[in-house]
Amino acid sequence: MKRAVLFFVVASIVVACFAYAQSVVTTGTTKTITLPPEKVNLKPGQGMDKAATYCIICHSSEYITMQPKGTKAQWTASVNKMIKVFGAPIKEDDAKVIADYLAANYGTGK
Amino acid sequence: MKNEGFTRRDFLKAAGAATVAAAVGGVPAKLFGQQQRLARYPEKTELIVLTQRPVQLETPLSYFKELITPNEAVFVRFHIPNIATSVDLNKWRLKVKGNTERDLSLSLDDLKKFEKVQYTAVIQCSGNSRSFFEPRVFGGQWGHGAMANCTWGGARLKDILNKAGVKPGSVDCVFDSPDTPPLASVPDFVKSLPIDKAMEEDIIVAYEMNGTPPPMLNGFPARLIVPGWYATYWVKTLTDITVLNKPFEGFWMKPAYRIPNTPCGCVPPGTAPKSTIPIHRMTTRSLIIEPALKSSVKINRPVEIKGIAFSGGYGIKDVIVSTDGGTSWRQAKLGRDLGKYSWIQFSFPWRPTKRGKYTLMAKATNSMGESQPFEGLWNPSGYLWNPVEKHEVVVS
Repeated sequence: MKRAVLFFVVASIVVACFAYAQSVVTTGTTKTITLPPEKVNLKPGQGMDKAATYCIICHSSEYITMQPKGTKAQWTASVNKMIKVFGAPIKEDDAKVIADYLAANYGTGK
Repeated sequence: MKNEGFTRRDFLKAAGAATVAAAVGGVPAKLFGQQQRLARYPEKTELIVLTQRPVQLETPLSYFKELITPNEAVFVRFHIPNIATSVDLNKWRLKVKGNTERDLSLSLDDLKKFEKVQYTAVIQCSGNSRSFFEPRVFGGQWGHGAMANCTWGGARLKDILNKAGVKPGSVDCVFDSPDTPPLASVPDFVKSLPIDKAMEEDIIVAYEMNGTPPPMLNGFPARLIVPGWYATYWVKTLTDITVLNKPFEGFWMKPAYRIPNTPCGCVPPGTAPKSTIPIHRMTTRSLIIEPALKSSVKINRPVEIKGIAFSGGYGIKDVIVSTDGGTSWRQAKLGRDLGKYSWIQFSFPWRPTKRGKYTLMAKATNSMGESQPFEGLWNPSGYLWNPVEKHEVVVS
């Protein structure tokens, strides 16, 4: 049993080292890196599907989750900035659903 | 901008996969919130993941015990998601064009033919320490780890521009990389310097970072170094320099990366500035690294208070330290001086004789007399953070 656990630990380390080594490859004059796969981490709630669909087009979910708690006005302004300044393709009714979701799950409650 | 010889992440594929992962709710609830996640990215050690895409990685403070920050520990900050993840040196070129006598297209070998310049300089994100602003501001919620001290080696920008021959009437010099935005409507990350600044002696196109080529995530194979100024200008994987005979007003120069046009670069907390200017030179700051924040030290035992201090290109004249929350101050000892752009280490011997909570403080002054305020100055974007930190430790 102990031997099996040891084997598993060693095998995991070998696999991890191999995976890391593979993240940078130099072939001839070309150097290539591979970024780790992205994970989305949003609180479940009404409107999460819209946030996960639209916000994630341009950025990963920490751009939402790392922010200080915002008022509904701040989150609405933030969604509007994404649409007006960065051209996020979000329709008006979806924008409201997303702003409501952000305010409800990442807000001050005001 | 688009450039031959580069591939980028298929962001739509990634976004689609991510959406599915979110929809099935495969993330345990206990991961929500402000917890820090460490991860190892290509050519990097374990760093704090601020954001995955565009990738932003923060350096744990323990690395600042060293005078030079190793490449694998240097923070990463991108603005738009489709970054250069593959560079073929046979195809990579640094192109110079615009209001010049001639166009240049320089290979890495061509770049290495210019006289090589080398110095140590602090690289610091404009928004470093943004998470300490009060009232809080939206944006990348960095702790203090969006900075590093590295030795850079490369060719003077001035020499490159002189080879191209800058024509009279030039106003701005524009810098671009192969990064591309996720949607055509998102502004490409392009930065500029006034031509007089660009012609300064110390600005280089660096192909060496601590003696080796920079990691891909720090700008392989060459990046701009503007020592003393915030890293927003230090364009990574530099491919295009364009000299303009009119002001450049791209999004990342205006309205982004602006500070209030006031002597302190600040406004009363929560208010909007009347007018703004591009962020530029770094403020003077210091940070105690040892003993670590909130750590415990033993009574009646000698302990060395150690930290780092730097300014926007004017060196550090002195650092004073207080172990009683700012009531009394004494001179700290300064470490090896690696020049005006480097950070300097300071140390201060301490032997606490009473148990309890202590507030340690350090205050640095540069050679021009610029120092640090006792409270954080405020601006709406969360830039220029530099107050005297209140570094709490416990004596037991």
